Amino acid sequence: MADNEIAIEVKDVAKSFKVYFDKGSQLKERLLFFKRNKYEERRVLKGISFTVKRGEAIGLIGRNGCGKSTTLKLLTRIMYPDSGKITMNGRVSSLIELGAGFHPDMSGRENIYTNASIFGLTKKEIDARLQDIIDFSELEQFIDNPVRTYSSGMYMRLAFSVAINVDADILLIDEILAVGDANFQAKCFAKLKEIKSHGTTIVIVSHSLGQIEQICDRSIWILDGLIRADGDPKEVDLEYLDFMGNEMQKSMNTGNLTGACETERHGNGNARIEKVRAFNSDGEEQSVFRTGEKIVFKIDYSVREKVFDAVFGLGVFNSNGVSCYGTNTRIDRFKLFNIEEDGTLEIVLEEVPLLPDLYSLDFTIEYGDGIPVDYCRHIFKIEIISGIGDIGVARIKHSFLLDENIEKKDEK
Amino acid sequence: MSTIKELYAYRQMIFSLVKKDLRGRYKGSVLGFMWTFINPLLQLIVYSIVFGHFLTAVNETVENYSLHLFVALIPWIFFSSSITIGAASIVAQKELIKKIYFPRMVIPISYVTSCFVNMLLCFIVIFAVIFVMGVGVNFLAVLTLPIIMIVEYIFALGMSLLTSAITVYFRDLEHILSIVAMAWMYLTPVVYSKSVVPEKYRTLFNLNPMTHIIDCYRTVLYYKQVPDLSNLLMAAGLGVFFLIFGTLVFNKLQKHFAEEL
Repeated sequence: MADNEIAIEVKDVAKSFKVYFDKGSQLKERLLFFKRNKYEERRVLKGISFTVKRGEAIGLIGRNGCGKSTTLKLLTRIMYPDSGKITMNGRVSSLIELGAGFHPDMSGRENIYTNASIFGLTKKEIDARLQDIIDFSELEQFIDNPVRTYSSGMYMRLAFSVAINVDADILLIDEILAVGDANFQAKCFAKLKEIKSHGTTIVIVSHSLGQIEQICDRSIWILDGLIRADGDPKEVDLEYLDFMGNEMQKSMNTGNLTGACETERHGNGNARIEKVRAFNSDGEEQSVFRTGEKIVFKIDYSVREKVFDAVFGLGVFNSNGVSCYGTNTRIDRFKLFNIEEDGTLEIVLEEVPLLPDLYSLDFTIEYGDGIPVDYCRHIFKIEIISGIGDIGVARIKHSFLLDENIEKKDEK
Repeated sequence: MSTIKELYAYRQMIFSLVKKDLRGRYKGSVLGFMWTFINPLLQLIVYSIVFGHFLTAVNETVENYSLHLFVALIPWIFFSSSITIGAASIVAQKELIKKIYFPRMVIPISYVTSCFVNMLLCFIVIFAVIFVMGVGVNFLAVLTLPIIMIVEYIFALGMSLLTSAITVYFRDLEHILSIVAMAWMYLTPVVYSKSVVPEKYRTLFNLNPMTHIIDCYRTVLYYKQVPDLSNLLMAAGLGVFFLIFGTLVFNKLQKHFAEEL
């Protein structure tokens, strides 16, 4: 392959950090407390290699502390590897730290110049982009006010607009698109796609697999400083999710409620929910699902005293605390029943249309008249992901019917 | 070579950092930018009283002590602030360094440059004083002034690259340097004339590039003569040496800045 086709080449890169237990950087401390200078060498990257072709977009995924952010920092040259080699062909811009060097007392316009200059742009280049930057930020009327008068959303919008208009050959992004409101996020996303179509190489670190699937041609999953998988995002992400689902099950949702915080649950306790688990359509236990997937909850409960006319229910809340769905057996017009001994309840949710977010769930046991027996708030969490970029709360089944006289292009 | 090319590409960043520094330095103080002039003037008054009226022994031969001192003090303040406060410049910008890439040298360069611009502004005051005192200037000699300034700039930059990089790893240096700067001032003919230095110490004094630099300023502005070029050449040689040495050390040390900060 010709050299000019490769944008990034990473070869056997390793990096470790010294973690001091108690570090003194003064001479006195270094001499007097010689013993204190103990440190532990933590190997964050243990030798990773990959190449990125020009115009390709890759996503780095992995859980916290796996080394993906370190990889990105090495790519930007904020840090240097202990061994191995990194070659970057072309101008690099990073959306790692937005608004670097912003001065609160200077106007938005002046800050555009300062900030863009940190990316290595000359005055002439900035002049040429100024209007684009201002237009993109939608801050035209505030651009000559000092930045300290901006709201944090406006601040981020300005910073993002500068960074994305740098016209780099290689764009490095760390957890973006958490900028501004939903509209601005959609706009950023569209801009990213446009940049990509112009042949810019993009590397994204994100926890949002949905974003990665929409933009990236490839995912690289880093696990404990090594590359675990590298390939088509759809496949790598699934593999990663399976793995994470299992891990998450172990840590986040132990499912065991005996030690659950008592303020989050109320009721007379004649019956108790003991354990909640979630399964996919194949019967595998997991806690990350795709939009449209089937989810099965299994709820183990114990009975201390017979509950007459029992009602089981569930509630789903998104990360903003908005109630997305709630129902129970009474609403579903179940025939009345009593629960007398320990058992397991199954709740089957078909084709869950919820869009990507972290959801918490309530599970309840009540008497027929609504008096709680065991009302557990936010006791289980599931994550929903999706490769489609639609926004809102839930996916509405839809279709667009174009007028017949519109000519369809062959490509897509 | 690639360092120079990259720094050239980031010239706008140097420019805006200098601007930000000059504008932001006296932000919030009542007299604001006037401090650029007031500070050296107050220092001048103190030194003039002490060495012009009390400790006069070393300066008996000097006719106009205040001016004799003033033309040396302003260039000295530029140099000493370059190495002392310049040493802390990398540490002060740690947020930027930890988060974003740019050639790290931009920071000491822009710091020294903003001190340099400050000195240039103070030279307006120097010329005003010369004019008010009716001393007058030798135009041919004044033409050599930019060369002297460039030599001093090179030397100050070299030293500040060195000190700023080492301070990251060894924070005490910042405090040590303030003492070193004071001692260095008394070992340089700033408050006294070079002629009072005893013969046996002359060689030692000549090793100090600042001796030549300060002497040149004084020759031009006080004695109104074209300076001895051999002295200046020696200072320039030492300046270039320190600049290269400083650059090499800086480049070596900068790789771990982000982790140390």
